[in-house]
Amino acid sequence: MSSGYQPTSALGRIVHEFEETAIAVILGLMTIITFINVVLRYGFNTGLIWGLEAVTFLFAWLVLFGMSYAVKVTAHLGVDAVINLFSSPVRRVIALVASVICIVYAMLLLKGAWDYWAPFAGLDATSGRWFPTGFENSRDQAWYSTVDIPMPEWLRFIEASMNQGEAYEKLPRFIPYVMLPIGMALLLFRFIQAAVRIFTGVSTSLIVSHEAEDDIEAVKHMNAGD
Amino acid sequence: MEVLILFLMIVGLMLLGLPIAVSLGFSSIVFLLVLSDSSLASIAQTFFQAMAGHYTLLAIPFFVLASSFMSTGGVAKRIIRFSIALVGHFPGGLAIAGVFACMMFAALSGSSPATVVAIGSIVIAGMRETGYTKEFAAGVIANAGTLGILIPPSIVMVVYASATDVSVGRMFLAGVIPGLLAGFMLMLTIYIMARVKNLPRGEWRGWAEVFASGREAGWGLMLIVIILGGIYGGIFTPTEAAAVAAVYAFFIACFVYRDMGPLHVKGEGRNLSLLRKPAALVSVFFHRDVRDTLFEAGKLTVTLMFIIANALILKHVLTDEQIPQQISAAMLSAGFGPIMFLIIVNVILLIGGQFMEPSGLLIIVAPLVFPIAMELGIDPIHLGIIMVVNMEIGMITPPVGLNLFVTSGVANMPMMKVVKAALPFTAVLFVFLIMVTYIPIISTWLPTLMMGPEVLVR
Amino acid sequence: ACDDGEILIKFSHVTNTDKHPKGIAATLLAERVNAEMNGKACMEVFPNSTLYNDDQVLEAMLQGDVQMAAPSLSKFEQFTKQFRIFDLPFMFKNINAVDEFQSSETGQAMKASMERRGLSGLQFWHNGMKQMSANKPLNLPSDADGLKFRVQASDVIKAQMEAIGVSPQPMAFSEVYGALQTGVVDGQENTWSNIYGQKFFEVQDGITETNHGVLDYMVVTSTDWWNSLPDDVRTQLATILEEVTTTRNAAVGEVDAEARQAILDAGSNIIELDAATRQIWVDAMMPVWAEFTGDVGQENIDAAQAINAKH
Ligand code: NA
Ligand code: NA
Repeated sequence: MSSGYQPTSALGRIVHEFEETAIAVILGLMTIITFINVVLRYGFNTGLIWGLEAVTFLFAWLVLFGMSYAVKVTAHLGVDAVINLFSSPVRRVIALVASVICIVYAMLLLKGAWDYWAPFAGLDATSGRWFPTGFENSRDQAWYSTVDIPMPEWLRFIEASMNQGEAYEKLPRFIPYVMLPIGMALLLFRFIQAAVRIFTGVSTSLIVSHEAEDDIEAVKHMNAGD
Repeated sequence: MEVLILFLMIVGLMLLGLPIAVSLGFSSIVFLLVLSDSSLASIAQTFFQAMAGHYTLLAIPFFVLASSFMSTGGVAKRIIRFSIALVGHFPGGLAIAGVFACMMFAALSGSSPATVVAIGSIVIAGMRETGYTKEFAAGVIANAGTLGILIPPSIVMVVYASATDVSVGRMFLAGVIPGLLAGFMLMLTIYIMARVKNLPRGEWRGWAEVFASGREAGWGLMLIVIILGGIYGGIFTPTEAAAVAAVYAFFIACFVYRDMGPLHVKGEGRNLSLLRKPAALVSVFFHRDVRDTLFEAGKLTVTLMFIIANALILKHVLTDEQIPQQISAAMLSAGFGPIMFLIIVNVILLIGGQFMEPSGLLIIVAPLVFPIAMELGIDPIHLGIIMVVNMEIGMITPPVGLNLFVTSGVANMPMMKVVKAALPFTAVLFVFLIMVTYIPIISTWLPTLMMGPEVLVR
Repeated sequence: ACDDGEILIKFSHVTNTDKHPKGIAATLLAERVNAEMNGKACMEVFPNSTLYNDDQVLEAMLQGDVQMAAPSLSKFEQFTKQFRIFDLPFMFKNINAVDEFQSSETGQAMKASMERRGLSGLQFWHNGMKQMSANKPLNLPSDADGLKFRVQASDVIKAQMEAIGVSPQPMAFSEVYGALQTGVVDGQENTWSNIYGQKFFEVQDGITETNHGVLDYMVVTSTDWWNSLPDDVRTQLATILEEVTTTRNAAVGEVDAEARQAILDAGSNIIELDAATRQIWVDAMMPVWAEFTGDVGQENIDAAQAINAKH
């Protein structure tokens, strides 16, 4: 669907299809859960008490998972008015500098995401203020659970290793939070890919100038010519 | 002083061609790590909580999705047909119908560019066929399209409500009269221009066409009733309203209009009826059209929320360093009154609007100016509408404007030509901004009538 | 702003600074710390959830990004299930009984009970006893049957509502006023000062003075941070906090009464319960205790009841 980007290898096509379907499914789930809760409350005076919290986590997953896809297909918004003033060799240098900053940004966020998530999973956060310099001994927070989402029975096997054998009353937080380090790692990966594409001249920029660019392409023909 | 460096860094990175979101996030992270003792983990927490902790913002993906189903599902062309049947025979009829159609689509969609794309692509072509210049058509639509964020529902209002904790329902109500007024002013301007310049008019096709087209478009327009009726009738919250709107739009698109989904027949053939293909009730959830629409809405949500999440990192840093208090103290000690203050807000927003996507800009500016506005006794709902109208104008003024881009793309003409064409109507919106700024009752009358006087809980 | 060399104490909370019992107490605390500990420590207060909401603030505290907060007691049920005792309906007769329980050995032990999780409780701050309100007058529990109430996220409160036939609904606090007004939900439970402060009385047709539960806060800090403080700083800070607590907790009855009177003056319908009617409410909700006795501990319930007998 997205204009411009075309996966070239078989693996690329599978990954592409998976990414787009995952984005669609997460948004679909968010909508359906919210809708069902309205129906249950208004029509049947009841409700899924976990619905609200689950939907907010899915919302976070949508964005955390989707942001790397948006880097891949160059869908993130930016201002291209100034860079367009330069000749294309200068533009390429600027785009390379920009990609390096994006890579550093993703690295910082990846460290932050790991440091935030690790204690919830009973792991150690990294030491160092800007970049990881090693691991520090973090206080185990694997007991920390979500507020309303019940613990699924089939998942109880994790209690032995994660929660010192104690039963979880609710789903532990490290599960919804795991999308943070995953999402940031994917973001870093896609920014590195984007930098390589700019370096090799396959693409010229990291951004689109506005949100409706794809849609415009689709309707442009209607007003072609004078 | 440090704040100035921070903002210069953000603008500098944006102009280098970094994604807006990364410019905001990277600058804020550097600022935080250098100046405070907060950790990178706190940034990650803020990022995650941008979605998980801001329940109001959930309305964004749902309204985007509803709008997506409406555009793909053919509601735009039915609304346009209805508009032409109703007002097409006036002088400047098709242009007036274009504005009218934009107003109706705005009542279904939360975004301005989406309104321009949906209505503009069809109406601009139609206007050229009936003898209008391309410039005139583009100018009309670029302006009328901005109503997408003023007439509820509105993504920008959702963001404002989330940033300041005012009620989304109240903001939506507050937008109704200004939205109708702005639309009416644009239509009146066209009518006068049409009388002076003798612009083409359509022919009256009779009440039968009005009813026939109205019935067709009615399925889409019912959404307005569902959203507002559901919110004020106590069936759902504004956020849930957005989800219900999305489900309704999906249903209309796939089963009533059948312009997409398993019952759609490509080309000239008639669409299938559900009776002939009852399996569609199940297969629709796996249909490629449905997946693609969900995906497109998801992708747009991701790009908007990526900016908003990073803007919230910036907001976190500003709060952490207690910048809003400092700015507030400085402005109050400089002795600014409400009038001067509102001028400053207008200028900040108009300049900021040159670089930033409206919701990202609002989430940064709102917490900075909101406390001052409260000190000065400005109504928060009124302030919100002023901000929204500013965003509208920012979208159609050079050098950078979202609607200018979109219109120039849709109309296939250079941006500067759109700017020039839009100018007379932009002037009308400026007059409208002054009216809205200094006549608060335009914004506050309807919400007060429907929901009682404003409650300031803080 | 803070000077170099001072220990920075960030206090994050979710209310206003000058009307809500918690906000007033936090403001007073910061004033005294900044005056009396000048040069040693400095407190910055972040009100109105500008920095963190109650769910995020404890995570941030464990991370070391904020030093003090005062979430409602329900938030600590995650850490130690004993805290469920404060949510159990009709566990405490009035705020004085709550106060005495919190000051007792049992209450003091609860403050320290989360240290294995990295949080140290410092003081309990009162808000007051909870009342029930709805879009129709509630004289008897059966009047609430079939209604939808917005509740705080707490299993105990959900069970309490279900015991009287109410459907508990989770809802973001910012949406509650609008939801009560339009009828998305029918009612809620809260203290007088919250019902007044959030103007819920404007959109409800009656408030029943049940005093069925307690809404209190605990001032907490990170154990690691607290232990890292120089002895003199920690002692002085604890002393100031204790004095502020004593002053503000003593004034809470007054704040409560003022809020109740203001609601009455606004023409709202307050339903007072005579002893017999109140007993019907007690009988309807008490079965919930059995469900949570294991979490709370029978000895704690006994201690609370012994204190009730004195009030
Ligand atoms: Na709209
Ligand atoms: Na502009």
